[in-house]
Amino acid sequence: MTQITRRAALIAGASLLATPALVRAQTVRELTFYYPIAVGGPIPRIIDGYCEAFQRETGIKVNPVYAGAYGETLTKAVTAIRGGAGPHFSCLLAAELHSLRDMDILAPFEEIEGAGDLNAWASGFFPAFMANSKAEGKTWSVPFQRSTAVYYYNKDLFRAAGLDPEAPPRTWAQLIEAGRKLTADGKWGVKMSNSSGNGQWTFGAMANQAGHKLMNDAGTETYFTDPRAVEAANFWRGLAFDSRITPQGVTDWGVLAPDFLNQTAAMIWSTTGNLTNMRTNARFNFGVAGLPGKESPHTVVGGGNLYIFKNASPAERAAALRFARYVAQPEVAADWCMKTGYLATRPEAWETESLRRYTQEFPAALVAKDQIPVATGELSTFENQRIYKALNDNLQAMLSGGKSAQQAMADTQAEATRVLRPFRRA
Amino acid sequence: MSATTISEAPALPRLGTLLETAAAWLLALVWVAPLLYAVWAAIHPTGYATRFELLAPLTLSNFAAAWEAAPFGRYFLNTFVLVTMVLVAQFVLCTLAAFAFARAPFRGSGILFGLVLVQLMIMPDILLVENYRTMRALGLVDTILSIGLPYMASAFGIFLLRQTFKQVPKELEEAARVEGCGTLGILLRVYVPLAKPTYLAYGLTSVSYHWNNFLWPLVITNSVETRPLTVGLSVFASTDQGIDWAIISAATLMTSAPLLLGFLLFQRQFVQSFMRAGIK
Repeated sequence: MTQITRRAALIAGASLLATPALVRAQTVRELTFYYPIAVGGPIPRIIDGYCEAFQRETGIKVNPVYAGAYGETLTKAVTAIRGGAGPHFSCLLAAELHSLRDMDILAPFEEIEGAGDLNAWASGFFPAFMANSKAEGKTWSVPFQRSTAVYYYNKDLFRAAGLDPEAPPRTWAQLIEAGRKLTADGKWGVKMSNSSGNGQWTFGAMANQAGHKLMNDAGTETYFTDPRAVEAANFWRGLAFDSRITPQGVTDWGVLAPDFLNQTAAMIWSTTGNLTNMRTNARFNFGVAGLPGKESPHTVVGGGNLYIFKNASPAERAAALRFARYVAQPEVAADWCMKTGYLATRPEAWETESLRRYTQEFPAALVAKDQIPVATGELSTFENQRIYKALNDNLQAMLSGGKSAQQAMADTQAEATRVLRPFRRA
Repeated sequence: MSATTISEAPALPRLGTLLETAAAWLLALVWVAPLLYAVWAAIHPTGYATRFELLAPLTLSNFAAAWEAAPFGRYFLNTFVLVTMVLVAQFVLCTLAAFAFARAPFRGSGILFGLVLVQLMIMPDILLVENYRTMRALGLVDTILSIGLPYMASAFGIFLLRQTFKQVPKELEEAARVEGCGTLGILLRVYVPLAKPTYLAYGLTSVSYHWNNFLWPLVITNSVETRPLTVGLSVFASTDQGIDWAIISAATLMTSAPLLLGFLLFQRQFVQSFMRAGIK
């Protein structure tokens, strides 16, 4: 008798425990999604459109919360998660991988129910875009709002300076030569940003151009004192102090596009994410080209990935993964690429009829895609923001004339070694 | 000899005044320069934002574009509701607390006041997560009330009003009591009217602080219905595209206009009450 009651109680208890999970699994009706752009402008409308289409297909309502720039979205997401009311998934900088792992708020994709053929799907992205996604043998994010660094050049100014507008510089030497001809009173040959939050990106590209990667995949070590890193820094310093084709001091990211559009900078190192902006606002002929390298063009990827958070229930994680798969479909990815200028993250999207037609009309979009094979992942380590700060402060000191390239790199490395020490021990 | 001293003596003070005036003008110019630039950029087409041409064409389209870029009408309403709510709550709470600390000695009053002062030394940003937890427990995430709630019991306000109340002569209170005034009556008829300059000065700092506050509103709000102006302004911070100085200037002027206008209109009163209240 007691035996039976106990068993009955056990069964009752187990079913009580099981029921809510089951109910939850079947009733994921809403997901919250933090997205790094402010309300207004064209991009929120596009995202809203995808969320509505996803709801029509699956019955799951995705509520996008537009949260400002990447840094603000990160703050907001982490605060909300720590406060117990976090989003289920979010688009955050791909390079934040190790910092986010360190906070222990991410759910690896492999552990999501129904992830099943994850590898087959994940390997369908461009490898360069997955460069900041894997660690410890697991997948922590998938690419979405992605770009590569490219440069925009003013064809009219090229012609006026006696340069061939169809043959933009492909090497450092050619860049300096063209820059000298383009630099005039009140006009700079080339501009790239070294402001906080952006300098490390430019420099990551330059290091790759010299054939160097600045960190290890585990995000625990940096290699700033490598001769090739110093060579890259020296090249940048030379642009400001030897050939004088770029301004000394701090160049903010925000001024690049306006200066280019006002024709006070003949070339700017920027992102493919700016393509639609340029296309709409440039009142002159402009071209897009892959960043010049020491020998041949090399660049860096940038932008945001989709992360799924641990605080979501298993069913919610599965639903978030479903959304990630939804927006990665060729047709949706192609549509995203055409409307925003961000890159479609999978080769198959570039094979769609609509994107083929678009790139025929607007070949500049293809330049960005062609850069993907020669792109490296972003500088990404534990304590990412502190490493960025150390690097950017030193780059700015170097470009203001306060430090030599050697010194700037040595100081960055010393600070990075200090910050990363606890993570190397683990 | 004496003639020269007489003629030189007035020259020195005149030089001093001259220097003072020049310095004042210089400071004023430095202060107003960003504002002038914003006005210049806002009323000209984008291309003129970084070069100066006297006869550049004037336009108001930047304001229209900025207004269109985000639901600013709603954001204005939200900010207005927010600052009014916070100000009213602060006045009520701080007045009562300050009165108790100033004129109603009770056991532990000193320690309690010390605790209130400790709050002045804590940056609100540190409490971000803790405040978020509290708001969530109260079910208030993504409401206008949640933006204002952590600021309503203001240590600064309590401190300021307590100091002001302490300066009110006891005789006035006694006279009022003789005339048959109750405690609340004394507070409302004697103390509050005498502290008017402090209220004005404190009100101004409070309104401008909450008008400009960014981080906490950003974190705690999720929707257009609750977001204040500052969070709305960040629409122009999508830096991938670079910054359009003309539109961002127009938007900044637009969102700060009510504060600027208010200050210009009541400038004299503000300056006087600041002098009296001793806030710098």
